Amino acid sequence: MSADQEKLIAELVEKGLAGDMDEINAIEDRVLRGKVKSALAKAKRAAKTTTTAAPAEEKRVAETIADTPPSDNPNQKFGQIIEDTFQGSLDAELNDTHIQLKPDNWFEIAKWLKSEPSLHFDSLQCHTGMDMGENMLEARYNLHSMTHDHKIEIRIAVSREKANIPSIEQIWRIGDWFERETYDMFGIFFDGHRDHRRMLLPEDWEGYPLRKDYEVQETYHGIAIPKVKEGWE
Amino acid sequence: MGVIHGEEMVLNIGPQHPSTHGVLRLKVKTDGEIISEITPVIGYLHRCFEKHCENMTYDQVIPYTDRCDYLAAMANNFGYVVAVEELMELKVPEKVEYIRVIMAEFQRIASHLLALGVYGLDIGAFTPFLFMLRDRERILDMFEMTCGARLLYNYMWVGGVSHDLPKGFVETAFQFLDYFEPQIDEYNKLLTYNKIFVERTADIGVLPADVAISYGVSGPNLRASGVKWDLRRNAPYSIYDKFEFDVCIGDGSKGTLGDCWDRYYVRMLEVKESVKILRQALAQIPKDGDVHQALPKKIRPPKGSIYSRTETPRGDLGFYIESDGSPIPNRVKMRSPAFTALAVLGELAGGWMMSDVISILGSLDIVLGEIDR
Repeated sequence: MSADQEKLIAELVEKGLAGDMDEINAIEDRVLRGKVKSALAKAKRAAKTTTTAAPAEEKRVAETIADTPPSDNPNQKFGQIIEDTFQGSLDAELNDTHIQLKPDNWFEIAKWLKSEPSLHFDSLQCHTGMDMGENMLEARYNLHSMTHDHKIEIRIAVSREKANIPSIEQIWRIGDWFERETYDMFGIFFDGHRDHRRMLLPEDWEGYPLRKDYEVQETYHGIAIPKVKEGWE
Repeated sequence: MGVIHGEEMVLNIGPQHPSTHGVLRLKVKTDGEIISEITPVIGYLHRCFEKHCENMTYDQVIPYTDRCDYLAAMANNFGYVVAVEELMELKVPEKVEYIRVIMAEFQRIASHLLALGVYGLDIGAFTPFLFMLRDRERILDMFEMTCGARLLYNYMWVGGVSHDLPKGFVETAFQFLDYFEPQIDEYNKLLTYNKIFVERTADIGVLPADVAISYGVSGPNLRASGVKWDLRRNAPYSIYDKFEFDVCIGDGSKGTLGDCWDRYYVRMLEVKESVKILRQALAQIPKDGDVHQALPKKIRPPKGSIYSRTETPRGDLGFYIESDGSPIPNRVKMRSPAFTALAVLGELAGGWMMSDVISILGSLDIVLGEIDR
């Protein structure tokens, strides 16, 4: 683009921003007109973000100031309480999004989380697995208290070779089906589960489908399983 | 004197059986006519929803959510887009919020009508089913008018909805509501207080509140056990905090708190509440506004994870989404309300008669597409 053209575009954009579109629409050269219009759109967007970004930034600063000393974030607060009661059970630093626990004491901690009146996490909202790559698997639990209306997320990481986590099926009864599904899809074993079977897939299925490196078996009971040509489409 | 036990027999119900509402197999151990143990076997409709999600962009997932709970597809769209928007911290225009609430509430009425009608059908009352399906048809017509589809809509998009409300929609909706409200009394006369129906459902399959919570049972099934918990009220999403409505709970007026009749009746009451919300939303909806204005060019949530819940006709629908910052989700987990409702069946149905199992299963209002995903 020549310097002349750039200057012309800048002039027209300024006019466009002021609301004068006639001159831009009158340009005969289609390429030039396109360039002017795209520059105009860019300028408008930039103007919008600068006006809207300012209050958001202010808010963020205010939040961090309010957050610092004793954190109100439930994952921080309850993570600290867990660490105080069951020393050495944390697997990573406390943070805002989740509480990372070691698998060893999980059954006792879970039992306590439900029975302690000031916590009373009576509802296991969601439980799922996650393939973290690098030979690690993770189980995640979203807990919620109906009485106190607070919630936390607990994560427990295990290696693929020793993918064993204590079962909490007897604490929250829905854990029964949730854990069976996680076992089915990720191959995490839940020690102490009274009915440890696959949930959605047949009992003799091979492999754990939601692991990232899963490959579908060739045949199932003599029936060839069709392969998708290029990954999943 | 000892109790005499007969020989136990294992009976299979399903996977192809009209009263299982889809492809569900129940392994029932019976001692004469009494159920001693019941084991649901699921997975016949498993379509790898979660695996598919890991191989497509965020917006491509939406049509798949339709096919999970195919009787309340709008509510599933809603749950998913709310989760993604929360992850992206995206704000949608007010008009879009109103349209979404209107659609979700119409969907709730449609879904409850089917649930109530089919429940009557399970028990042997054929006529109410036809009445309710007739009225549900008019709601589906309105959906068709808006987005062209009757069951699987792909209507709610991340940041907006696919089409604006068509001309004349608000008038049609008001006409429908005026026609529909008196119909509820007719359903009550036909089915709710029918002596045979009450005999078959009251005092049957009682679900205590603490068991329900431990099993993660939610929505109308939980409220029927007397727990006043509704996400629209207790953790409002979208613009539900703007509307006046009651959270209906069971009261055990025909039998025991938390029996099948309560679960049925809470749905009937909720239909009335949905009508209330709809009247407010239809009156307040902004006239102007572009429903495509906030659609992001590229849906790329920042790195992180979210667990977000919404109240569908069947209960708490949760989406656990983890993003690695790319346009493709790293993991999408759908926590479906029907899954947890079916899990409690084994606990509920033990000790009841064979014919009561159909009553109990029907009262839980499950959809197998959502259970198997």
